[in-house]
Amino acid sequence: MDEQWIQSVGIDVGTSTTKMIVSRLRLGRMSSTFSLPRYQIVERQLLYASEVHSTPLIGFDEIDAEGIGAILQEEYRKAQISLSSIKSGAVIITGETASKKNAQHIVHLLAERSGDFVVATAGADLEGVLAGKGAGAEKRSQTIQGTIVNVDIGGGTANAAYFQRGRAIATVTFHVGGRLIRLDQQDMVTYVSPNIQAWLSAKGLRITVGQRISLAEISEVARQMACSMLDYLTGKERQISGLLVVGPQLRGDFPVEELTVSGGVGKLMEGAPVRSMADVSRYGDFGPLLGYVLQQEREKGTYAVNWLDPEQTVRATVIGAGMQSTEISGSTVHIKPELLPIKNIPILKLELTQEQLANPAQLHQEVAAIYQLGERLFDKTTGIPFALAISGIGYCSYALLQTISQELSDQYRHYFAESQTMVVICETDMAKALGQALALRCKGAPEIICIDQVRVEYGDYIDLGEPISGTIIPVVVKTLAFDEKA
Amino acid sequence: MNTKTTVLGQTYQFRDLKEIFAKANEDKSGDQLAGIAASDSRERVAAKQVLADLTLADIRNNPMLPPEEDEVSRVIEEGINEKIYNEIKNWSVAELREYILSHNAGENDIKRISRGLSSEMIAATAKLMSNLDLITAAAKIRNVTHCNTAIGQPGVLAARVQPNHPSDNVQGIKAALYEGLSYGIGDAVIGINPVIDTADSVKDILTMTKEVMNKWEIPTQNCVLAHVTTQMRAIRQGAPADLIFQSLAGSEKGNNAFGIDVKLLDEADELMRKEGTSYGPNFWYFETGQGSELSSEAHFGIDQVTMESRCYGLARKYNPFIVNTVVGFIGPEYLYDSRQVIRAGLEDHYMGKLHGLPMGCDVCYTNHMKVDQNDMDNLGILLSAAGVNFVIGVAMADDVMLNYQSTSFHDIAAFREVLGLRPAPAFEKWLEKMGIMENGKLTARAGDPTIFM
Amino acid sequence: MEQQLDFLVDKVVAELQKKLSELGEKAPAQAVEQAVEKVVEASMQPGAQPSVEVNGAAAFQSDVSEEPERTAQIPNPQWKEGLDELLTSTPARIGVWRTGVRPLTKTMLQLRRDHAAAVDAVYGEVRQEVLDQFSLFTVETQYDNTENYLKRPDMGRILTDEGVRLLQERCQKKPQVQIVVSDGLSASAVDANLKDVLPSLLDSLKSYGLSCGTPFFVKGGRVASMDHIGEVLEPEVLVMLIGERPGLVTAHSMSAYMCYRPRKGMVESERTVISNIHRQGTSPVEAGAHIGTILSKMLEQKASGVKLVL
Repeated sequence: MDEQWIQSVGIDVGTSTTKMIVSRLRLGRMSSTFSLPRYQIVERQLLYASEVHSTPLIGFDEIDAEGIGAILQEEYRKAQISLSSIKSGAVIITGETASKKNAQHIVHLLAERSGDFVVATAGADLEGVLAGKGAGAEKRSQTIQGTIVNVDIGGGTANAAYFQRGRAIATVTFHVGGRLIRLDQQDMVTYVSPNIQAWLSAKGLRITVGQRISLAEISEVARQMACSMLDYLTGKERQISGLLVVGPQLRGDFPVEELTVSGGVGKLMEGAPVRSMADVSRYGDFGPLLGYVLQQEREKGTYAVNWLDPEQTVRATVIGAGMQSTEISGSTVHIKPELLPIKNIPILKLELTQEQLANPAQLHQEVAAIYQLGERLFDKTTGIPFALAISGIGYCSYALLQTISQELSDQYRHYFAESQTMVVICETDMAKALGQALALRCKGAPEIICIDQVRVEYGDYIDLGEPISGTIIPVVVKTLAFDEKA
Repeated sequence: MNTKTTVLGQTYQFRDLKEIFAKANEDKSGDQLAGIAASDSRERVAAKQVLADLTLADIRNNPMLPPEEDEVSRVIEEGINEKIYNEIKNWSVAELREYILSHNAGENDIKRISRGLSSEMIAATAKLMSNLDLITAAAKIRNVTHCNTAIGQPGVLAARVQPNHPSDNVQGIKAALYEGLSYGIGDAVIGINPVIDTADSVKDILTMTKEVMNKWEIPTQNCVLAHVTTQMRAIRQGAPADLIFQSLAGSEKGNNAFGIDVKLLDEADELMRKEGTSYGPNFWYFETGQGSELSSEAHFGIDQVTMESRCYGLARKYNPFIVNTVVGFIGPEYLYDSRQVIRAGLEDHYMGKLHGLPMGCDVCYTNHMKVDQNDMDNLGILLSAAGVNFVIGVAMADDVMLNYQSTSFHDIAAFREVLGLRPAPAFEKWLEKMGIMENGKLTARAGDPTIFM
Repeated sequence: MEQQLDFLVDKVVAELQKKLSELGEKAPAQAVEQAVEKVVEASMQPGAQPSVEVNGAAAFQSDVSEEPERTAQIPNPQWKEGLDELLTSTPARIGVWRTGVRPLTKTMLQLRRDHAAAVDAVYGEVRQEVLDQFSLFTVETQYDNTENYLKRPDMGRILTDEGVRLLQERCQKKPQVQIVVSDGLSASAVDANLKDVLPSLLDSLKSYGLSCGTPFFVKGGRVASMDHIGEVLEPEVLVMLIGERPGLVTAHSMSAYMCYRPRKGMVESERTVISNIHRQGTSPVEAGAHIGTILSKMLEQKASGVKLVL
């Protein structure tokens, strides 16, 4: 087999808008006929992009799951896509945490209505990375020496991802978005997100629900918010601007050479100047103004950073989710096709040193330590408690393979006796050999799934799709945390 | 046709033209393997003596591989200018050799005569030439061709940069490419031998090289040396290819073993006319090498020098931009040691030049031959002196994909410096603009690949 | 909410792991001290006593062949980090710098050293203890001597009469799988890789429930000696593990040629090949496992080479 197409879907349910796309990814053989098979995604085509729907809400901040389901059903019909043909993809549920109280409900509903493989919300970090990919920042970073940051600004949050030489190196999320402050047609403030109160106070800005607000006043809030975010992104100031950050703060300094802004607010930057309160409140929130002040900052050139136009604005995240979330594992693997797909498996990482590998007692202890950690972190299950990602092995001789497989299998059966499936992810091309060695020892209890050449980190979750042509496994790595080093 | 002679008191009677041609060759392990080589020096001289007295008409009238049986023979036959041939058909091979070497014959005279010669006649003269004869004759002929840029001018030594990678990693290819460019290598072509034989991979590499060329405005041409059918697929999918490549053999059967025939080459030629990205008019890149016909049992008892010459007869039909004899790649069963490799390199270069072809040479060896890097230094200098159009540049001569050694970026810089040769004019201008070369010498900046990052 | 929690837990775990790995060198940081101690305690429990059985003492002796040094020699590169990126992307000898238009002495000597290793591989012999480890007996082709082997590939394709007699005497006839090992153009490829490729291949055959005939070693073998062996032993499938023509990156690269019902007159397109098996190339253990898969598919499809669907 030289090539094969798979269909992938991306769904982005945001605070203000919902969109979906369907793409097809072409898997091509990327190995010579004289070497072990290796497949890669060689082409990504956008098949269908839905219009931008308003996210249906129940009350003020609860997403209407049934409403989302209805939208998707209609879009699938229009796209003429059958659920069974979807092999990969990702769903992003964005926005403020408050809107996510029924996230579980939505996930289940989507699992039923968006194809078997596609599931689960991704965290803000993955969202930022996918938006950065969709906006073209990742690709762009391969061509420059410095760092590029893309910030995707939607209704509730802004997700930023830093890329360097083709790799995402850090992410950060802000309470910055078009719908954090809402207005009616009479210039009356109808909503101020509680998430920005601390920042407002620190800045000495006052804005309250019920207040009639002038263009000058609201413009100042918008400008301060835009500048705080830019201060933080460029490292100019992080004390006060840090109050806008959702979750962990950035742990390093990342001198930024280039900047792109995507998302709905990124799109609004292209709009006409905002000159009156009517211009501000045309969507019932201050989104247009936020876009406008960002555009002004870009034109003023206050920040020592090169602003570029993103490849995508409002659809950056959904395009990233649909087209860029899937990877392909190495093609010599050890699997049981009937056990796939598997979803949402957390990663435990076993990082070995040459010294540990050369010393059986040390290796034994390392494996014990990681399994004990897994035992405490994850519930007992007859399924898959975690996927063990092994790195640092380097060259693996047959003798070393035997030692490793013995440690991994013996101790697994000791600590996770009830688990019926063991999942191992190797860094280097050795999954078939290791899987085979483990299977010969375990004899079906547990079953072994062993794949390789997928990069995972602590805090990642992983989905493994159904094998294509027997041994090609689509993988979605859901990065929820970033190890903030290059 | 006389097939008999006496040397040092011993009489030799040769069976036919094939036997005379084979035994007149300098010693080659390939001819021995085929069982057609002269048994000793005396027999070799006898064969040369008989060959020297044959007329060109003798050679044409006694085809070793008749046109009715072989399409390469047909291409060669059809390429002969009858008027010119009729003027010289009664010349002996010795007379032809002396004409080519004489001061009376200028470059244009030789080029005119060559249009009346068959590949076998050209091979015959090579068999009567010493190494220095081959150099002297070839040095008289410059075949200039143009794709995006022109190479082959007097005083120019161009080079292919060959940034191969063991798994076609595009970044890895780029790394070696940058290194080569920083030494002033790459004016003939940026050419990659791929490991992966898919159109996707070929397209990726073509696209990457084109992007680098565009970004730095490099006046050269790109090529990925996959099988011609794979390149055609990639080109039809929109891959930017300035040159199209194929290995050639000197017989129809040999070409079939490569998975090609004249019809396929015609088809590719047509495609390049329509969808190639270069200015032209020359857009073919051919590779050849003594011994390939024997390895596919497609030599019909004909010696490897003659078969090689027939490759050039076929190549001539397509007006290629570059032709490269990969002289030492095939292994010790065809060319055993440095003596044989050096001889073959000079023969091929001369025969190609006499065919009117833009000849380059991959001055190279594999590790199971009795050859080392010093021998490559020698052949490289000899060919540079003979006016070779281009040689191959590989990082420190070590090709990490094909597992053989060629000439290094340093070597080519040295050939140029020692013999006062220059890169192709447009490329040299670009090197000056980049600050890599000044007055034909590498600057302090040369050798740093990161200037392209 | 659940996610935020998971996220925090993971962050803590990541933190812990880092600290754990630093334990040997320095005391854990104050902030996570307690937690770390817990983990350490856990790993010290009696149940976690080392009980590792070492498979062969050689297992942990690193058979380190001299890895070529690869450091950039450019005195003032325009972009230093970029240079590292270039070097890690390819095994090609780049970033080597120059003196005038010639390479530096060290670079030149490195090349000569690697060439010497390659020539040694061609003219060397496979170590007897490597063959003994897998109880391989030796048969020879008609190659006679190395020079002749190089000049006359045809002679490396035919076994001596003595070799044929040995096969008939010592090998199982008509096996399902026949494994043959040969020096080919690199004896050191066999020395370096056999101990990893062969047992992994045997494990794979076991996993697929395939039976294996009597393996042996062919001295002075060419790939097509498979055909002659096929005539003698009539295996259903045959795999030959043979040393490749050495390069400078490695002189120890091995190929596996596989064939369904090998016999005289086979053409190259009827063979399936996995090449470039060595430490820095295709992993020997992974190759061994994959060869088993290919052989089982050959038996299933009763075909090899271009006709085999992988």
